[in-house]
Amino acid sequence: MIKSKILYVAVLLFCLCACKHEKGEYHSLREKIEAEGKKYHGTDISSEAYIGDIETVVITEGDDTFLIPERKGQIKSYACTECHSKPLAGMQHTITGQRAHWDITLGHADENAMNCATCHNGNDMDNLNSLTGNTVDFNTSYRLCSQCHAPQFEDWKGGAHGKNIGGWARPRAAMTCVNCHDPHRPGIPSKWPVRFNTQKVRERE
Amino acid sequence: MDGKKKWFTLDLGWNRKESDNSACGCGKSTGGCGSHSAPPRNDYSISAEEFDAAVEDTMAGEVQRDGFQQVFDVKMDRRTAFRKLTASLMVGAGAVGTSCSMVAGEETKEKAQIDWEEQFKGNYKLMTQEERQATVDRLVRSYQLRKKENIKMTATDASEDVLFGYAFNISKCQGYMDCVSACVKENNQDRNSEMQYIRIHEMKDGEGFKFNKADDNYYHEVPAEGHFYMGTQCFHCDNPPCVDVCPVEATWREKDGLVVIDYDWCIGCRYCMAACPYDGRRFNWSKPEVPEEEVNKNQHYLGNRMRKKGVMEKCTFCVQRSRSGKDPACVEACPTGARIFGNLLDPDSTIRWVLENKKVFRLKEDLGTEPKFWYFMD
Repeated sequence: MIKSKILYVAVLLFCLCACKHEKGEYHSLREKIEAEGKKYHGTDISSEAYIGDIETVVITEGDDTFLIPERKGQIKSYACTECHSKPLAGMQHTITGQRAHWDITLGHADENAMNCATCHNGNDMDNLNSLTGNTVDFNTSYRLCSQCHAPQFEDWKGGAHGKNIGGWARPRAAMTCVNCHDPHRPGIPSKWPVRFNTQKVRERE
Repeated sequence: MDGKKKWFTLDLGWNRKESDNSACGCGKSTGGCGSHSAPPRNDYSISAEEFDAAVEDTMAGEVQRDGFQQVFDVKMDRRTAFRKLTASLMVGAGAVGTSCSMVAGEETKEKAQIDWEEQFKGNYKLMTQEERQATVDRLVRSYQLRKKENIKMTATDASEDVLFGYAFNISKCQGYMDCVSACVKENNQDRNSEMQYIRIHEMKDGEGFKFNKADDNYYHEVPAEGHFYMGTQCFHCDNPPCVDVCPVEATWREKDGLVVIDYDWCIGCRYCMAACPYDGRRFNWSKPEVPEEEVNKNQHYLGNRMRKKGVMEKCTFCVQRSRSGKDPACVEACPTGARIFGNLLDPDSTIRWVLENKKVFRLKEDLGTEPKFWYFMD
């Protein structure tokens, strides 16, 4: 009788201790991350210093607030109205010889889906315009991209698409669409790898 | 043995006390053959002097022991003693030779002194913060004396509330290998053997992960048609098999999840290399060499400081960068944004967003190694 009682107690103790084995108290890494993440108090590590000289603007989209590089200062001949002083129709016939923007050809979707006026407004060259004709600032040009590229936009907001600036810690700064993709030609051309390991070839002979 | 010892000993059972009972040649444990000694005196009373001596012994045990004491003031067998003595003799002879010499300059003497102290230092894992700083200072001074160049070396510890994790987007990687180049430069990897921590595997579409059929040393325009690219490196497992097999505990998992190596404690047995199921570890078959002007002078003791011949090394998630808030060099160099790095414990971090919103997987998950390196696709 006493023996069986001892056995019961032993089994009970074993059950209590079984999950608290030496390697840690969690069954999986995901469980551990979620449980310990609930106790997260933040760290004093900051990535601010690594953002560097890049001028940034704060954006808030849904639940995410982060920094993206300022754009207008990076465009060579902004403000556009310095040249575009009159409507486009008036300018197109006055210039002879080399044209301005001769280097821009639109390689983005096809002619049915896009032309210059999909993003640019001939009557307000200093701003962009959305599909419905609303004004979009050059600094928030991602709002134009997100009209068609919704899944990429979601991934970018969360951090799965695009590239981080500085470091992993707060404040979060990320490249915006046009920092990697030329809006007129967003496809990225193929290139050669930057290195080739000659030693590996020799080792594997 | 007091609990504060600064070394690890490999237990091969040699030091186990032989039991008194079976030691007799007669094979009996009951006595009667005449060769059994008298049972030990069962007398625990001690005199006042003996008590004082015992107290002093206990006090002495609590004093921090470093250097010479750690190595020689321990019980060891003859073979170990000879081995240690021979190694030490080489350094010692040099040190004594130079320090007693009237001709040797101050610098030579200092070098010898540093070598002496480095030879007898303990395992980094067991050092106090002051001891860590002392060895870092010695290494910086030693580099200055030898190469006439100043390096910056840190011993930054893991921070609270940080657990590093990494995600790799297979649909984004285009095989440019900028990450590999950045890694080699950042981590002062040997240029002669062209060591690289990261491997980018070019795999055929529709065949799945076949590492035996993949090419990790291609040289043609990328991305090649009908292929995809995926990178491997040290995955910083949360349950690292490489750490379990190390006979001298020269490699361990830090509190922030990084699996690191004390290059000065590693004996180069390569057990960890064999235990790693991901081919994440590299061995220095020759003395690693980096042209002086290419040496990354921002170093960490557990990270990219210069290694020696015959020790293991591997990716440390750029401990010298990540512990101060920077992204690892590969993440920073990747032009496609395929590499995501962050704090797994921060619920608002991008890495957590990826884990919670993308369909992620890890390599050889069934092994239970719990790598902190996830793959995902758009």
